[in-house]
Amino acid sequence: MSRLLEVEDVVKSFGSNVVLDGVTFGMDRGDTTILIGPSGSGKSTLLRCINRLTELDSGTITLDGVEVTAPGADVNAIRRDIGMVFQHFNLFAHLTALENVTLGLRRVKEVPKAEAVERGRAELEQVGLIEQADQYPAELSGGQQQRVGIARALAMDPKLMLFDEPTSALDPELIGEVLEVMDDLAARGMTMLVVSHEMGFARSAATEMLVLDGGVIVESGPPAQLFEAPEHERTRRFLSRLTEMEAGG
Amino acid sequence: MMAPLQLSDWVFVFDNAGYLLGGAVVTVLLTLSSVLLGFVVGFPFGAVEVYGSGWLRRLVVGFGTLFRGTPIVVIIVYFYFVLQVSNSAFLTATLALGLRSAAYQSQIFRGSLQSVDEGQFEAARAIGLPRLGAIRYVVVPQALRRSVPSFQNEFTIVLKDTSIAFAIGLGELLKRSRDLFISPAHGGTAVFEIVVFMSAIYFVLTFTTNRGLDWVNARYAVPTGEGT
Amino acid sequence: MSDAEGAQAAARPTAWWTGLTARQWLGYALAAGFWGWLVLRWVNDWFLPPGVGTGRGQPFIAVAPIRAAAASMQATAAAGGPYAVVAGWLAGLLSALAFVVPALPALAEGVWLTLVLTVASITLAFPIAVLLSTARVYGGAGVRWLALAYTELIRGTPLLAQLFVLFFGLGLTTYIRAVPGVGTGFIPDQAIWVAVIGFTINSSAYQSEYLRSALQSVRPGQLTAARAIGLSQLGGLRYVVLPQSFRYAIPGWSNELVYLIKYSSLAAFITVPELFFRAQAIASTTFRYTAMFTLVALFYLAIVLSASHVMHWVERTTAIPGIGGSRVRQL
Repeated sequence: MSRLLEVEDVVKSFGSNVVLDGVTFGMDRGDTTILIGPSGSGKSTLLRCINRLTELDSGTITLDGVEVTAPGADVNAIRRDIGMVFQHFNLFAHLTALENVTLGLRRVKEVPKAEAVERGRAELEQVGLIEQADQYPAELSGGQQQRVGIARALAMDPKLMLFDEPTSALDPELIGEVLEVMDDLAARGMTMLVVSHEMGFARSAATEMLVLDGGVIVESGPPAQLFEAPEHERTRRFLSRLTEMEAGG
Repeated sequence: MMAPLQLSDWVFVFDNAGYLLGGAVVTVLLTLSSVLLGFVVGFPFGAVEVYGSGWLRRLVVGFGTLFRGTPIVVIIVYFYFVLQVSNSAFLTATLALGLRSAAYQSQIFRGSLQSVDEGQFEAARAIGLPRLGAIRYVVVPQALRRSVPSFQNEFTIVLKDTSIAFAIGLGELLKRSRDLFISPAHGGTAVFEIVVFMSAIYFVLTFTTNRGLDWVNARYAVPTGEGT
Repeated sequence: MSDAEGAQAAARPTAWWTGLTARQWLGYALAAGFWGWLVLRWVNDWFLPPGVGTGRGQPFIAVAPIRAAAASMQATAAAGGPYAVVAGWLAGLLSALAFVVPALPALAEGVWLTLVLTVASITLAFPIAVLLSTARVYGGAGVRWLALAYTELIRGTPLLAQLFVLFFGLGLTTYIRAVPGVGTGFIPDQAIWVAVIGFTINSSAYQSEYLRSALQSVRPGQLTAARAIGLSQLGGLRYVVLPQSFRYAIPGWSNELVYLIKYSSLAAFITVPELFFRAQAIASTTFRYTAMFTLVALFYLAIVLSASHVMHWVERTTAIPGIGGSRVRQL
């Protein structure tokens, strides 16, 4: 049985700095995997290799049977099946919230305008932002912008959602509204790969936790198991520091 | 000694105001045609400088260096007397001023295209837009709006440079003013009044243009607030 | 590179001329040739006593051999045969050269005036611009309005119109001619003075705009901190704000320098014999428009490119990390 996402032996260096040194893991449909690790350990790079925003040096990545990393692969078609949510939101500044969501539908999938608007409004409703449909990103708070970003990615009906530190750029009081949307998404069965320090989310919604350190996955397993009995001392210390930060605020 | 300001001199000026304002019309038309040519050539050139490569990009960069590095009077005179692109001084002046403006506008657009942050481009690619689509729907709309202040500046520069077309005999405002003040009709005393009147017309032209483009800028600017 | 190698490289400074591309070498060679010839020309014409070097206005290279070569090429071309086309081109080139070479001394004198106009105007305009910009940013309502009116008027009218106002409208040459010493020896003629005045006024308005935005780029906290340690408003401006603002203003100045080099050509229309005037004068009497105007375009390009490179170098050497466009120092 093949898994929805297979990442095999991915290697990526920037100059002389080896960021990913043979990363291998897999995800099944419906999994919510949280990826943690020290800064600079390549978590974002790994995510960006999956939708080929960054090109890896060697290794293969397969999504639903299609080899993403094949030399002749249609990158744009692949990206339609993968949704990405960015740390700094990256909303299109010249478009309203609704237009941000419908751009992909209209220009990539060539859905007619009326239908796209209907779908767009439904997505915004789903993330609780239907009132803000005609506002510009500059008029929205960080949490609202990120939720629009999520709606924008979901409108494309992706098979896999990638989250690159979605709450790291948010003020503390805005983090909750975004995590709520992500929780809801996980519960509805979306396959999600999340890079984040939010341990609360890990505990509540994640089915697996991967620890990336020194360019390789050093530990993996259900979050509960890693919290209670991590194999590596580094993992234990890293996790305890994260939970301390959360508790202490 | 300079003759003291005389009312009769001003009367002379106002009697000939129609002639001078006719020159102002030529000035405005020349400005519009040149700026338009500058945009039509300059925007693609700017895009090539940002996104292009190889010999095409080198050509564009070379064009820019040439037309930004030589005085406009040399360019105009070269087009008219050496290349002889046209018998019409207006057309020649448009070509010269237009290409010079294109060289500067390409820099304006190069800057504004580069100023749209990379993250938005990536987000556009991440939803599956091809490179050209991302540029067309996300980068260009914002770049154009960000260009308006610099474009405003360029517009007034071209407006003022039209005065140099007098060197090839085009009957724009400066030439007509000169024709007037060298004519013996006023006995040589109205020179000061004529050049002051001419300068006033130029000032009104640049002032109105600036305020007009201010309005465009206010209307079409991308909303910026806190955040992003 | 490893830490040890990095430390070694930092300790052993490399000369600036290593690591230059072929294109850069060519550029420097051409620049050296151009400016070298100009300096030789100027020294020869004005400083060498008669009898030493060639006379004033006499080209360094003899023209006759070039004309002879052109004639023989012409003959080869006329005779037909396989090399006719190439010979025809060479003939054209050589005859153009034979014409250009005697014109070079006059052009060199023109370049001198172009440089004088440019440097004098940009320098004289600077203190005026400092006054104007500080008035606009820090002055009271009346002073601010005056400075604004001046800048708007000057920037809102063409430079050529301003020159016409001074030269034809006000007839300044009449007054300046009356000043003793004008036009004698090294002191320039009256028309040149008028041109300098015109360019200075014009440049002061534009420079004040660059300086004004540069002053506003300096973080307001800087002046507050200066006052807090006891400096007066003037002292704070002088020792803290202005030095920083100059770094921000450097790109604007490079712009202004290039602008003046090019627009000094307008002085030709008020009878100043600078570069463009000379080229046009020679072209209209000999009808050699192509040769003269191509040459003069190349001259201007050479001067502009040299000036740009010098300004880039100035920007790099005066850069302070964190201010203006300078890059943070790599530690």
